[in-house]
Amino acid sequence: MSRWAKQIEMQCKIPAVGVASSNIVHYATGYVAKYQTGMPIRYVSVPFPFTGQPRAVDVGYVTGKDMLSGRPLMTAVISALTSPLTDEEKISGAPPEEAVEPRFLPPDSEENLRVLFDDKEWTDFNTIILPTEKRVTEMLKGTSHKPDEVIKTINITGGARPLTVEKVAINAVMAGASPEHFPVILALATQAPFGNSTSSMANMVVISGPIRNKLKFNCGTNAMGPYNRSNAVVGRAFALMSKTAGDLRNNVNAWETLGNTMQYNSQCFGENEEALPEGWDPLHAEMGFKPTDNVLSVGTGWSSIASVGASQSIYPTHYLMRDYMSSFCASGSAATVVMDPTVAGLLKDTHGFSTKAQLSEWFSQNITKVNASYWGNGVIQSTAVPFALQGLEPYASWRKLPDDALIKPFTNSKAIHVVVAGGKVQTMWFVTDFGIRRGVLIDDWA
Amino acid sequence: MDRRKVLRFLGVSPALLTGFPASAEKAPAGVSSSDGNAGDVITVLNPAIAGRLATRVPLVPPLDSLDNKTIYMVNLSWEGPDAANYFYETMTQWMNQHYTGVKTIVKVTAEGMFGSDPSLLKAITASKADAAIVGVAG
Repeated sequence: MSRWAKQIEMQCKIPAVGVASSNIVHYATGYVAKYQTGMPIRYVSVPFPFTGQPRAVDVGYVTGKDMLSGRPLMTAVISALTSPLTDEEKISGAPPEEAVEPRFLPPDSEENLRVLFDDKEWTDFNTIILPTEKRVTEMLKGTSHKPDEVIKTINITGGARPLTVEKVAINAVMAGASPEHFPVILALATQAPFGNSTSSMANMVVISGPIRNKLKFNCGTNAMGPYNRSNAVVGRAFALMSKTAGDLRNNVNAWETLGNTMQYNSQCFGENEEALPEGWDPLHAEMGFKPTDNVLSVGTGWSSIASVGASQSIYPTHYLMRDYMSSFCASGSAATVVMDPTVAGLLKDTHGFSTKAQLSEWFSQNITKVNASYWGNGVIQSTAVPFALQGLEPYASWRKLPDDALIKPFTNSKAIHVVVAGGKVQTMWFVTDFGIRRGVLIDDWA
Repeated sequence: MDRRKVLRFLGVSPALLTGFPASAEKAPAGVSSSDGNAGDVITVLNPAIAGRLATRVPLVPPLDSLDNKTIYMVNLSWEGPDAANYFYETMTQWMNQHYTGVKTIVKVTAEGMFGSDPSLLKAITASKADAAIVGVAG
């Protein structure tokens, strides 16, 4: 929003005023102005929620009060466009002094430092291991990369923060990891930060290759539960580095309205490659990596739906998966199905899916959704509608269909991933709306 | 005082201020940086990373008044292109009622709120608009 207002001011040379709810204005005039736009955009504010309201509510907003000044909204709009600029609004050029973070924090007691780390929101509010120099130095022995190497620049909410190997090592220590975990955590750092959206996103981290066994990642019973150190500390490190490197703070620049409990360790688990049916390739091999490569793959999404009970012979398992997946928004055609090896065996031996790709293709061809339900999703409105307005298919055609028409929203079967995990205790599965990105070679970070 | 400029003047790298490279700053002498007992004073590394502040850009000077001006209303398609229809419709009616000399133009961005739309910026300039209202988000 501020970006648009700034573009109009700079390129069209006319004053612009933004209209937004108060949390957006708070963010825009605070963090965004400081780290992104550098421009104190003029704003007026309406109540929240704005979208999905009947006409009378929106009319009331326009004829009602500006939430910032308390004046009538339209009076505030006109005032914003006609009032003389303040000294603050006239400032131009480089900031007077760049922000600095010292390498070491001031010496203090362990108790006080724990309070400081929580106050700064550098933790997940579970107890951390304090990153002493000795511990961080030991962690850095887990890689050949130099401490000052910049892995990536974190700019999700502005600030262009350079995430270095040493900063990741600090977070790895805090998460309780050991040096042998460090290459995995560095590979994960290339994918930082985790999802940060008002829509309350989360992530999924899948470990592939021989390193699963070497580091004892849990791929079997309770693979996705709190029963394994490697799964726990690697996933937790992702949350901590996302928060510290992204400077993510609640109600400052982290605005996930519900948040997501999956962010605590980003569902970190290993694929049970040893239990894959014959012909079903591991996740990383499907991406083109060698089976002997050690790879980490990160997905982003919101939700998952479980089978709850065992697979039944009266209704094929993939039919039930299809039914449940039809409730997902299908943004980017993305989905990931995590299933127990017993389910994979059923799908292969009983239902004839000889590869994961065949199953993904079946989902793509057989999942349908009512047109109005597809467009009724806010994420789709924000992402797919622009495609439709530009005439891109199939979105342009779908927008012209009747509300009750059935569409096949998972247009790209390659975006539907299948991951096998679990301990063969139950014919159990999760269908999820997580879109998994191409994997990262862990071996590059050893 | 700009400490970076002072350091440059002294011929010292301003990188010292950022803590990079890692060897640029050591734990204070006389203070344990290893694992201490409860109650001991210890030193730990800072997980925070300095953010780069944005270059300041001043606002465009305001209008003297709205008399006979053109106001471009930009609908950013927040949560969809139709979500703000009633809002823009009501703003337009309000303007027509209270500022009869004001001309209003309402346009929906083709790229949505996350994209950029150079053609829209050109259209605003071509329209000789005097001001813009951008929204609605929330």
